[in-house]
Amino acid sequence: MTTTTTETANRPELAIRDLFNKSQSGNKTSPALKKFNQAALEKLEALKFPDRKHEMYTFVGTRELVATEFALAASGTIAKEQVDALIYSNSKNSCLVFVDGAFCEELSDISALGAGVRLTPLSEAIEQAEVSDYLLATVKDENDVFSAMNGALVSDGLVLEITENTTVDVPLQILYISSESKTPVLHCPRILIFARRSSELNVAVKFSGGATSCFVNAVQDILVEENAHITYSQFQDDSAWHFSKLRTTQKRASRFISSNAMSGAHLARCHYEMWLTEPGAELQLNSLSVLHKEEQAHNYVQIHHQAEHCTSTQLFRNLVDDKGRSSIDGTVVVHPGAQLTSSEQLINNLMLSDDCRADNKPNLKIYADDVKCTHGATVGQLNEDQVFYLKTRGLSEATARTLLTRSFAESMIQTAPSPQVAEDWRNVLLKKLGANE
Amino acid sequence: MLEIKDLHAGSEGNEILKGISLSVKKGEIHAIMGPNGSGKSTLAKVLSGHPAYKITSGEILFEGKDLQGVSAEDRALNGIFMGYQYPVEVPGVNNAEFLRMAYNARLVKQGKEELDPMDFDDLLQSKMDMLGMEVKYKERNLNDGFSGGEKKKNETLQMALLEPKLAILDETDSGLDIDALRVVADGVNKLYTKDKALILITHYQRLLDYIKPDYVHVLSKGCIIKSGEKGLALELEAQGYDWLTKV
Repeated sequence: MTTTTTETANRPELAIRDLFNKSQSGNKTSPALKKFNQAALEKLEALKFPDRKHEMYTFVGTRELVATEFALAASGTIAKEQVDALIYSNSKNSCLVFVDGAFCEELSDISALGAGVRLTPLSEAIEQAEVSDYLLATVKDENDVFSAMNGALVSDGLVLEITENTTVDVPLQILYISSESKTPVLHCPRILIFARRSSELNVAVKFSGGATSCFVNAVQDILVEENAHITYSQFQDDSAWHFSKLRTTQKRASRFISSNAMSGAHLARCHYEMWLTEPGAELQLNSLSVLHKEEQAHNYVQIHHQAEHCTSTQLFRNLVDDKGRSSIDGTVVVHPGAQLTSSEQLINNLMLSDDCRADNKPNLKIYADDVKCTHGATVGQLNEDQVFYLKTRGLSEATARTLLTRSFAESMIQTAPSPQVAEDWRNVLLKKLGANE
Repeated sequence: MLEIKDLHAGSEGNEILKGISLSVKKGEIHAIMGPNGSGKSTLAKVLSGHPAYKITSGEILFEGKDLQGVSAEDRALNGIFMGYQYPVEVPGVNNAEFLRMAYNARLVKQGKEELDPMDFDDLLQSKMDMLGMEVKYKERNLNDGFSGGEKKKNETLQMALLEPKLAILDETDSGLDIDALRVVADGVNKLYTKDKALILITHYQRLLDYIKPDYVHVLSKGCIIKSGEKGLALELEAQGYDWLTKV
């Protein structure tokens, strides 16, 4: 990535190669990780950074991002008190903390996780055939250049294994936190979770505290094996450039229930790539974004139904004020043979100003003939019947409107997997609405 | 308490109410009956101050003051309560919290101090006990996913808290089975005292078995075509509306 964009067309890709060379020269990581980095770099160069016409980035302007010259972050320091304040009270002894993209053992506490959870640095785990095969396969099929960029530049990460029949009793929190930086820096955190057969895990991911010059480019892969249940939440609350990709693969009768919130950023984008590969898998994806000022939050969703009897439901709610921008670009693909698929997608946008913008692009690609797929999107202002109802109970117009605006968000906040996560969302997201009253 | 004088009103240029006059005094219960499309619900909406309905001529006086131009919230704060035919669902707004806001808005209007959540909870619980309502009504979101009967019970609870001077209950009985109807009617009877007034808008006589009106009015095509005492409702039940509307 470079500040000059006029010379050759693949200039940004060259800049990444430059970063790649620097990261590899100072890197003592494993040969398997290097091989993975190399494969991802080649993929990145083949995919190229998106231009305006790129199908995947129709609503997301990446020009400024691509034109910015980022350096790879050296891991900074974060005060323990700052981290403690961000750890949910029910995850004090079950938290993994990443500082500037790198796992920080000192700030993490896994004492409550038990023997059924195994943690291995990515650089070590990737020496196992299962891990390296999986990661190389994801590179082969990768369609997002920023995710490939993470693969090219990641110097380490974490692999979690929830062993067979393990129910993790405490919610696991994964906190990504960035330190202040005066110059533009790039973080590439990476996590890979194997939820083995009949395991259960509740995991709350939080991206926090990025400085304005910081680009967080995260990738999280989760393999949900037969009958495993994952309750997942993700909260984007960094004031930086934020790109994250969540890729899940679900086996027979597994469940993945996800509730996400975005508080927006200079440019925030979440990419969901979900694969339902065996019969009976169930996926739920809820997402709320609350945006004001010039904040942006974009979601790109691909759900692949590859097997019979799988269910996916998506509910997106965007609350956009001022000059905020949100977009949902969501595709459900029902592959041949995935009969009796049930898939629902609903997008609700509440637009509170004349200058805000919300783009929705629902897509269905159906290659099976006995399926039930629905999608819908609403864009609107507050429901006037509700406003009137509240007024006839004595609430003022302003109070009624504020209450309803909050309730639009609140009904999604209530899908958060724990009261602690819900409270955190409430504190950050509803406060923004308060500031606009 | 309420004086309606030759009221003409409608929405989007259609005149629906064509000269209604009605006088409701303290301590009285009036039933307004009529076939579908006669203007019953429009009357309720006009009384509650719905912005889509405009008064074209005539006037509505509440405690001697003209209601023209008075906002829905001020009508509510002054003691008019509208019980909805279809109470609106408001997902994401906790019922107890909403009730407290509505209750406190009334207190502020009266120049009193707001109740804190603890004190309010005691008050709410006492009203719920009186109406025989389960605790779930506090925890759930306002009317969200409520059955028809639950919504009407919740309306009754709001009425119990807000203690209006005049309550207008629009088709409170519609969609209720006999048990739910009895619960709602019992609640209304408990709340009704001689310093209050009640207007029941209903299609069926059934509700009037439980809440006894002093007067019954028949509304048809936007006019009150007959007024009488309670016996009129029974006549209507036996003969339908046709014998009146065909005249």
